[in-house]
Amino acid sequence: MNSEEILRAFLTDDLIIEKGHLKKEEAENYKWFSHSNNKLIEVIKMAIEGETSSESPNVTEKKINKLLNQQ
Amino acid sequence: MLLTSIELNNFMCYSGMDNRFDFTEGINVIIGDNGYGKSKLYDGFYWVMYDKCFDTSIKTFSYTSKLKKAIISDKAIFDIEEGKITASVILTFHNPEKRDVVILERRYSIKKDGDKIIEDEKSEEIVSKKDLEFMNARIEKDPYEIERIKRYILPDNVKPYMWFQGEQVESIIDFNKSETLTDAINVLSNISKFDNIIKIADELEASSEKEYDKKRRDLSKDTNKSEQLSIDKEKLEKKIKELEKEEMQLRDSSSTAEEKADSKLNKLEEAQTIRRLDQRRKDLEKRLGEVQAEFDKEQINLHKKLFTNRWVLKGTEALFGEYNQKYEKYISSKLQKKALANAKFEATNELRKKLQTRLPLDVPEPIHINRMLEEEKCLVCDREAPKGSEAWLKIKELLYTTEDDNSKIEEEVKTNFDFESEFKKLYQNGLGLGHIIKNIDNDIQNTFLRKEEIESKRRTILEEFEKIEKELRSLTAQSAMTSTEAFDILNGYTVLNEQVKRFATQIANQTHLINNKKKELDQINKDLSSLVVGEIPKYLEEKRTVLNEFYQVAHSTRKRVFQKLVKMLEEEANKHYQNMIQRNLSARGIIKLKELTNGKNYMPELVDENGNVLHQLNTGNIILIKLATIMAIISARKASRDTDLYTLITDAPMSVFGDDYTLGFCKTVSQVYKQSIIMSKEFYRNETLRRELLENEEIRLGKVYMITPTIPETDRTNRKSLATNIKALN
Repeated sequence: MNSEEILRAFLTDDLIIEKGHLKKEEAENYKWFSHSNNKLIEVIKMAIEGETSSESPNVTEKKINKLLNQQ
Repeated sequence: MLLTSIELNNFMCYSGMDNRFDFTEGINVIIGDNGYGKSKLYDGFYWVMYDKCFDTSIKTFSYTSKLKKAIISDKAIFDIEEGKITASVILTFHNPEKRDVVILERRYSIKKDGDKIIEDEKSEEIVSKKDLEFMNARIEKDPYEIERIKRYILPDNVKPYMWFQGEQVESIIDFNKSETLTDAINVLSNISKFDNIIKIADELEASSEKEYDKKRRDLSKDTNKSEQLSIDKEKLEKKIKELEKEEMQLRDSSSTAEEKADSKLNKLEEAQTIRRLDQRRKDLEKRLGEVQAEFDKEQINLHKKLFTNRWVLKGTEALFGEYNQKYEKYISSKLQKKALANAKFEATNELRKKLQTRLPLDVPEPIHINRMLEEEKCLVCDREAPKGSEAWLKIKELLYTTEDDNSKIEEEVKTNFDFESEFKKLYQNGLGLGHIIKNIDNDIQNTFLRKEEIESKRRTILEEFEKIEKELRSLTAQSAMTSTEAFDILNGYTVLNEQVKRFATQIANQTHLINNKKKELDQINKDLSSLVVGEIPKYLEEKRTVLNEFYQVAHSTRKRVFQKLVKMLEEEANKHYQNMIQRNLSARGIIKLKELTNGKNYMPELVDENGNVLHQLNTGNIILIKLATIMAIISARKASRDTDLYTLITDAPMSVFGDDYTLGFCKTVSQVYKQSIIMSKEFYRNETLRRELLENEEIRLGKVYMITPTIPETDRTNRKSLATNIKALN
């Protein structure tokens, strides 16, 4: 599975659809480089990116925290 | 990397320096009968990589330092009088994409001086690399780099699924180790990426919750109360984690018990049949003993009855008649004799009466007569009666009395041996026995009928006993299970089922407890929020929500992906299984990967088209399912870098499931693995199968070799001239 396939696996989760982050079709056709202002999607992308690039989990967590701490 | 060749020099039965096998992509097959050197070839691969060979005496892999000169060919040791003898194996790997080459070599030497042999303690490992195939090889000295290269050729976690011997297939996916299949999926799939993301999500969620709580405490109108609530919350969270951990342990234990019960269930039907047959056998054995005793008793009675039931008299009816006639004749003759004597007696008496004219009977008395005879004078008339004179003889006549006459007559009637009373007894007995003789035939007939009845009963029981014995023997051989093991399985199954039920109750209680604690936690959160004065920053609220959702999504996605993977594996496994069994008409079933109670482990089982579990599986079936599952894990990642990189090397993988599956197995292996090297005896023994292997277009065939020893197996006591012939068949 490449990063985009992993991302789609996350985005097609029922919770994403139920909470209205994406519609089902949008999730199924989501591209890695699709632009989004949704923080949950961004967090997921950052986690996948960190994992696939063998980044240290601490670094990934810091990046995510930084994203979510923006006021 | 492709394994392009192996060279074996003076290694075990591969004596000499020209033992080389070249390999290509596809399935490479080394054909040889038992004891021809297949396992030693497998040892060759293993030795280079791990410095170990299979030690047949202890049935495990041992290091060179233990095996020492056993590594070296006996012939090579024998052929040289004095000097150094070295065994070596060289593996050459080629990466067609990068065009680099790696050569792994291992050597071991001994020194011989006449009968004295000095063994090296260790083997020597030489790793060389060619950055490009046409360049000269350079020896790698850095031990870390050597390890890296070897791990690159075959990582430790992949090794069990790529290099194995026939008998190891059972343990690759061990039905009694619940996590084995899950571990295999983890190793050979990318599910671990999802696991790593879950760890990040867990960390982030916990830290954001703490951050949020801190903010709530900072904004609390009652700091002390908020502090206390936070402490309670922390304790509660810790408690919930402990309870959840316990719950998971219970689920794991339940899964293990469930899985063990399932694996026993597989043999339950057989075990039940064995137990039933065994019980029946014991009953029959007891019954047979009783009938045999009855039969023996009847047999003894048969002999006794000759006398007790007078059978010995059978056929003597005529003798009785004859005896009766003789007896009657005897009695009548005796009576006649007596009558004649009586008549004579009467006549004598009559005559005597007539003769007795002068004197009455017994007068004078005998005493006086005797005196007269002595004195030779008649005392009655006083006249002389000289001895021998007429007068003297007349006097003497007077001495004869009636008794004398009677005695004489009786003497005449009497015989020397009088058996009348005995003859009479015999006669009377004969009359009684004569009546019995009439019933002897019936008695004999009834006795023989009874004996025949018992004999027939004994035969029937014996036949049934032998039938059950045979059935039992075949069943125990087929199921590889003794009667005792069958009993253990049945008892074990009952115990495990009880355990599963017990665990289910414990899990339900634990879940209830966790839910209650979670409710308490919700209440504490509400209490904490109610104490907040002012507004919690929006970004913090949002962060908490996002990370909580991330946590949930990460967990549910991992579960979904894993289930999808399992489903895909199931489909792949079935594809391979069907391919392997296609030539065997009796094989059936669909592989199902069953989820266990703990929700994280899966076990393969075989079901029919209606989803009913098939329990009557033999070892061959079970190994086919396992192989199909392993192949599914590999083929699910086909064309990915990982699986294409490694070569499947297996010794006698088909030995347990018979010729019908051999070609199906080769076809499947050739499609699943980019390169494989299989050692097989099946193609040696079955020439038709060998021809099919070489001609079947569905099999992606690499190189095929036939190996034969220079000395037949029967003459192998002296291995000093043993070498191995290698013949390429394509």
